[in-house]
Amino acid sequence: MNKIKALVFKENISGIIFVMPFIIGLICFLVVPLGISIYYAFCDYNILSDPVFVGLKNFKTMLNDELFWKSLSVTIFYTVVSVPLKLIFALIVALLFQKTTKIAGIFRGVYYLPSIIGGSVAVAVLWKRMFATDGTINQILHAMGVEKTISWLGNTDTAIWTLILLTVWQFGSSMLIFLGSLNQIPRTYYEAAMVDGAGKWRQFFSITLPLLTPTIFFNLVMQVINGLLAYTQCFIITQGQPMNSTLFYMVHMYNETFVYYKAGYGAALAWVMILIVGVFTAVLFATKKKWVYDGGF
Amino acid sequence: MKKRVIACVLALAMTAGLLGGCGSSGASDTDSQTTGDSNGDQIDLSMFWWGSQLRNERTQEVLDMYMEDNPNVTIEGQFSDDYWTRMATFAAGHTMPDVVQMVYAYMPQYAREGTLLDLTPYIEDGTIDMSNVNEEILNTGKVEDGIYGICNGINASALLYNKTLLDDAGIEIKDYMTMDDFINICREVYEKTGYKTSLSYGAMTSESYMQFVLRVQGKTLYGDGAIGVDSADQLEPFFDLYETGLEEGWLLDPSLYVERVRGQVEQDPIVYGSSPETMSWCGFYASNQLTSMQSAAPEGVEIGITTFPSDDIETAEWLNPSQFFSISADCENPDEAAKLINYLINDIDCNNVLLGERGVPISSVVSEAISENISEDDQKVVTFINDVVTPKSSAIDPPYPDQSSEIVSLLDSITEKVMYGELTAQDAAEQFLEEGNAILAGN
Repeated sequence: MNKIKALVFKENISGIIFVMPFIIGLICFLVVPLGISIYYAFCDYNILSDPVFVGLKNFKTMLNDELFWKSLSVTIFYTVVSVPLKLIFALIVALLFQKTTKIAGIFRGVYYLPSIIGGSVAVAVLWKRMFATDGTINQILHAMGVEKTISWLGNTDTAIWTLILLTVWQFGSSMLIFLGSLNQIPRTYYEAAMVDGAGKWRQFFSITLPLLTPTIFFNLVMQVINGLLAYTQCFIITQGQPMNSTLFYMVHMYNETFVYYKAGYGAALAWVMILIVGVFTAVLFATKKKWVYDGGF
Repeated sequence: MKKRVIACVLALAMTAGLLGGCGSSGASDTDSQTTGDSNGDQIDLSMFWWGSQLRNERTQEVLDMYMEDNPNVTIEGQFSDDYWTRMATFAAGHTMPDVVQMVYAYMPQYAREGTLLDLTPYIEDGTIDMSNVNEEILNTGKVEDGIYGICNGINASALLYNKTLLDDAGIEIKDYMTMDDFINICREVYEKTGYKTSLSYGAMTSESYMQFVLRVQGKTLYGDGAIGVDSADQLEPFFDLYETGLEEGWLLDPSLYVERVRGQVEQDPIVYGSSPETMSWCGFYASNQLTSMQSAAPEGVEIGITTFPSDDIETAEWLNPSQFFSISADCENPDEAAKLINYLINDIDCNNVLLGERGVPISSVVSEAISENISEDDQKVVTFINDVVTPKSSAIDPPYPDQSSEIVSLLDSITEKVMYGELTAQDAAEQFLEEGNAILAGN
């Protein structure tokens, strides 16, 4: 009995007991499914019957899958365009509301709002209605004297841009992170710069921007990952139409798995995406030394 | 010290609770098994379907009626829009509800994978009474040597149209239109009223319309591990119609579909749109959708129903099982589930509530009995099936292969390219044949 007591009250044992609920959840709902999905990626699996091991077949299929390449290029284009735009907007708005006045607080809240309702279905539905042929955007354009009715979602040139715009509009969380680190830059730097005669622009490019690079880097990595894994906008607003010009990779994966019941191929697509996310992140980290300031303030 | 003990106990309790939570569903499963086996005890059944609000209400009502008549049976009804995703996960986990709604496109796959119960014994011993049902209709539920689904209503491909609009323009629609008749009407409507034409793409019925085109030539869409045609020329008439419409200007602008849920009657260009430019005079639907299309129509607009255009309607047209009821292979009380299906198919009180919302009832007795209670629109559908389609139809195509949903997506995406003018009808036919064959060959 004493032995058990001694065992239980050893610091690390009770620590382990405390984290057990989380560890069990992690193993049951993440590690095990992750392992199973690696196995499925090498199988023919239609969900209804048992998986059959087929080696690399799924990965070979991908090479000839037109939609795989199409959706991959759409997703990368979307990420490469929307992420920088989003970060620039977030930074500009953060700079505008940096001063803590009452009105700035309200504006911060208002601009953060789109991100709270973030990836939600409701916003996507709203967006779809706004950009419809008879939607708000066209009506505003009519009121401004534009004669032509533009089908924003139905045109292969504009459809992807409506999705990009939606993403850029949701810049709130990046803005908050920028605000946090903007307020950490010591005021004394700016005072010294002013004494030296530096103007506002000079201060921004010589002090603010370099000291913000760690935050920019963090935001960039997070947003690139989010961008590559984007799903809701496409699924709700366009379903990949018109002519697959807005087909996101994740939606293609969903279709293969749950519409065509090719879960093995779907799992393989998922693992390829994990590799792609890994490559993007690795490249970003490799360039980190070149432009990210990692000293203290 | 005391605090630590309490903390440890709490942590243990939480862990235990979590583990207990994981196991509880298994425990209740065995419970229901033991009660189900002994006679007279409480029997739990579950039923799963998809459909409109109207269907959910009516189905729940008849389940309540059944429970009232059979106090020892409890039925849990579930419905879902994300039906096939959930069905697949149910089947994979062996937790499929006892009675499920199926369609012709998916049932064979579920039957072949052993997830459905062969209903032949229940039909033979009379638990499910099929004596008033046409043999051909019963056989639509046949997969290999067993019957895995009981058809719960009959429908047929149907062209729904804005009758009020056409009456005002002085255009009359006759049943069994030929292709030329149809194209002439599309032109005439466009000239006189400005209304355009939405073809099978908008209503998500391209699969049926393609079958229409092929059956006339003695071909099927799904052959043995390939598209069932000899050459791409045979597929071309399908795309020709789109191409003609695009060239002549009466085809509805394809960009409109991106903004809507295709196949959903409330958003169909027949009843929804801001100007004639964005609306259609017709839509390629199924007969049982007339009722919901009529209720979605603005006041004063009457929706008419006729056959799809075809140069040889008798070979092209077929009577379609709108849906099936099947029993899960994991069902613990198959006898009770079979009784429930029998109730849904044969009971007159029950069908006086359902009123053919799933299609015209398959039992001739039931169909006759409810005819006086159904609304005018429902009556129109029954007349269409019995008097227009039945005399001029032939047997349905054999059950579809597992890849049929992929073929439908392919057909849609190629049709889309034709509508946007990116492909000619001829190129589209060739591309569909080539890529369709690759899918069906299992690549």
